[in-house]
Amino acid sequence: MIRHVTNWFRRRKLESGLDRELRYHLDRRISDLEKSGVPAAVARRQALMELGGVSQVQEKIRDVWLSRWLRDLTYDFRFSARSFLKTPSFTITAVLSLVLGIGATTAIYSLVDQVLLHALPVREPERLVLIDWKGDQVASAHGSWNLMSYPICRDLDKKKDFFDGVFCRALTDVNLSTGSDSRPEMVEIVSGNYFEVLGVAPALGQVIEQDDDRVPNSNPVAVLSYDFWQTQFGGALDVVGRKVLVNRHPLTVIGVAASTFKGVDVGEVPSLWIPASMSSQAIPGFNDLLLDRRNRWMQVFGRLNRGMTLEKAQAGLQPWFKAMLQEDTHLASFPVITPERRQAFLSSSLVLAAAPQGHAPLRRQLLQPLWMLFAVTAVLLGLACLNVSGLFLARGSARDREIATRLALGASPWRIGRQFLADSLLIALFGGLLGIAAAPIVVRTLVAFVPRASAPTALHAGIDLRLLGFAFVVSVAAGLLSGLAPAWQAGRRSVAQSLRERGGTAFSGVRLRKIIVTAQIALTLTLVVGAALFLRSLDALMAKGPGFTTSGLISFGVDSLLSGYSPAEGNRLMRRIDEAIRESSVTQSSAIVRWPFLTGGSWSDPMTILADKRLTTDRDVNLNTVTPEFFQTMGVHIIEGRNFDERDVHEPGVEGWRSAIVNEAFVKRYLRGRSPLGMLVCEGAGPDDNPDVVVVGVMSNFSYRGLREESEQVFFPFFEGDGASGTFYVKVHGKPESFVPSLRAIVHGVDPTLAMTDFRTVSEQVDRSLNTEHLLATLSGSFGTLALVLSLVGLYGVMSFVVTQRTREIGIRLALGATRWSAIRLVLRDASAMIFLGIGIGLLLVSVLGRLVQAQLYDVKSFDPTAIVITVLILCSAGVGAALIPAHRASGVSPTEALRVE
Amino acid sequence: MLILQIVSLEPAHGYGIAQRLEQISKAIVQVNQGSLYPALHRLEQKGWLKAEWKESETGREAKFYALTASGRKQLVTEKDSWARLAGAVQLIFSEGDQ
Repeated sequence: MIRHVTNWFRRRKLESGLDRELRYHLDRRISDLEKSGVPAAVARRQALMELGGVSQVQEKIRDVWLSRWLRDLTYDFRFSARSFLKTPSFTITAVLSLVLGIGATTAIYSLVDQVLLHALPVREPERLVLIDWKGDQVASAHGSWNLMSYPICRDLDKKKDFFDGVFCRALTDVNLSTGSDSRPEMVEIVSGNYFEVLGVAPALGQVIEQDDDRVPNSNPVAVLSYDFWQTQFGGALDVVGRKVLVNRHPLTVIGVAASTFKGVDVGEVPSLWIPASMSSQAIPGFNDLLLDRRNRWMQVFGRLNRGMTLEKAQAGLQPWFKAMLQEDTHLASFPVITPERRQAFLSSSLVLAAAPQGHAPLRRQLLQPLWMLFAVTAVLLGLACLNVSGLFLARGSARDREIATRLALGASPWRIGRQFLADSLLIALFGGLLGIAAAPIVVRTLVAFVPRASAPTALHAGIDLRLLGFAFVVSVAAGLLSGLAPAWQAGRRSVAQSLRERGGTAFSGVRLRKIIVTAQIALTLTLVVGAALFLRSLDALMAKGPGFTTSGLISFGVDSLLSGYSPAEGNRLMRRIDEAIRESSVTQSSAIVRWPFLTGGSWSDPMTILADKRLTTDRDVNLNTVTPEFFQTMGVHIIEGRNFDERDVHEPGVEGWRSAIVNEAFVKRYLRGRSPLGMLVCEGAGPDDNPDVVVVGVMSNFSYRGLREESEQVFFPFFEGDGASGTFYVKVHGKPESFVPSLRAIVHGVDPTLAMTDFRTVSEQVDRSLNTEHLLATLSGSFGTLALVLSLVGLYGVMSFVVTQRTREIGIRLALGATRWSAIRLVLRDASAMIFLGIGIGLLLVSVLGRLVQAQLYDVKSFDPTAIVITVLILCSAGVGAALIPAHRASGVSPTEALRVE
Repeated sequence: MLILQIVSLEPAHGYGIAQRLEQISKAIVQVNQGSLYPALHRLEQKGWLKAEWKESETGREAKFYALTASGRKQLVTEKDSWARLAGAVQLIFSEGDQ
């Protein structure tokens, strides 16, 4: 096979060699014959006859070189290319259709591959598993998902029967300084065996090792990510040994990780790695992280032993795990809990999940939307193929003469059909090439939609081998798909039939094209309905809004603990900054909240309420602490009761809050609308949790985590908590973006080294929190439009073809006294049959597929009548419009002209 | 097999092989010259023969075919299997004679 291909490239040389070889043979034979007395002319003839003809031998040998089918294929391709060059407008239309389809599919696939499919660039990623705790861990949590404590990871690492090793990691933001200024950077805190178990080598120096993670606080070392090393240190080779400041603690750089390795989370790329032994420096305020079994903050990964399966390991670990649970309950540090909760704790189990792609909350978030978009582009590609099919069919009927002649000369139907396949394959491969060229641009646009700040660094728009392979496969598939109908059509013609028909009257070709157009309309309907649903969801979410003011608001985070302050000093610092900002002339009003809004995260816990009787909430309540100015700044109304004020300040030396403000949803869910004022609440739902916080007010509902969610909320006064870090929301006069420098100056006036994070306008945050919805709405909208255009072109094409074919019939009708209107009706009847049938099938598809997208919708049913009616109207009017042009032409047929043409 | 055998004695060009075939097989095996060259190229393609342009006995450049290592192996196996077949046929005939 490979030989065949190489032969193709050196065929010129082979040909000339063969020529010489045969000439030599003939000359020798002739001279031998002449020597034996045969006359020259006869000798030549005899030599040729013995050989059986030079060109016959040559042909046979060419078959040896290239094998028959490959040679035919090259001939087909050459013929196709020549005929395409002769009809540029046809070629351009067909190629463009496929570029759209292949480009869109490839671009979406690029994201699907990177976010959902790509395995980590580590040694044997298929042996990696994520270890998770199913059940109640009776532990406080810090982080995203699948969290467990550090001691459990160390325990699991000892289970060498199952694992080569078990490591854990956690992401955190730190205040990082490499020289004069400091800024927030993402850091991955890892157990000492992280690099070893993953099998990641250093690009420079060395990576973190077991010894770096033995004694807490004793190994101030860091490993840089390759990108960080390149951008911040210019790739300096003497970086090893230099110091960086993490939250003002000096760490020594010991190496740079391999360039391909970007941590175990696709969406969040750390700038550096530090050993877990230094976690209290990286996460100030938490001191027992390495010893506390009841503090879960890390994801735990294991590398299964060779030959060990996930199921075996999971089953094998349970006895040890159950014993550990029992042991835990006897520890002095184990909290006092209700018997039910203890039961829930003891019935926990360990769950192993294959994790060749690491751990990525981004994947969780984009899993459904991406697959959905991938399906949409696949449909779009199908539409493009159908379009090209239709074009080829039309061209096929124009080529009737040629094909009839070839059939008459003895070409097999299979041979003719193959010519058509070669045509479409060539077009598709060319389209694929252009599609690949267009894909990076599309991907870059798409990445902007990904709802995560670090996505642009984590996702790339490059073309790699996998992507090329995918585009090639898709192109070939598209080529085969779009060539199938024309090839079949051409292949089943008989010579007699071809010759009987006059030029350009292939009626069965029209039937096939009508089926294609009907299918196109059906698919278009599903895409357009989908787009309408996503648009309406987005619209509903936008109309609802977050429930607080967004205009003129800007926010930024300050974490004084990351700059070396103690909690008490930090609290005082935050007060000073708060005052400075509120006194500034640029500020209209300003507030601090502990946890920012619309990030998807929150501080949450169940609560205990003391009404006439004691009750606990059945789910987590979203909690926060805010300054009194919060309500005015954000435009959140206090419906009942009062705002926080000096009455809520606790006496010196007393811990905890004295007052709380709850939201309407909280009142509705737990108090059935009774006034909560004066009731006592507290965080936690255990039997020894003592409700001692007075509810002093009720606030209006607004979105905390994201726009879709409606949750119960309870807020406490900011400065009465730790109050050392938080997010400022500042309302300014004018465009909020332009106040970044002055706000920075105010904060630096208080402490010039303080790091500020995430300067963002609130309206931008609202947009960002709707990114997934925007992504779906925009893309499905544009894909729907493309689909509509494609199928209208198809409809128009087939109808004008029908009109051309029936010119004579229409001419006769008109001559016999039919009105022009009846000619129009004739054409429209044909078109509307296709449109309505297509719509019918499409509606069926919508009702089946609708359930799949329900989770992505907001306030809209998947079988939404409005969306469907609008879509059907659009399709009908556009379809009739496309058919009207040929219909109008039909009505303009002059009877005499039409008959003379014949 | 015949071609391999001829070439195994010494490298030869197409015309030479054709003449040898005629000489050896006399009138017993008729080899069509027309199928000789495709066969040669097929054997070359399979890697059993290698070809090289050399000066021939008449002083002109001709394409000489020579046996490769794998061609030699092939020749041995083919000879073996032929010998087995011939032996078997012989056995059947001698059975019949008895």
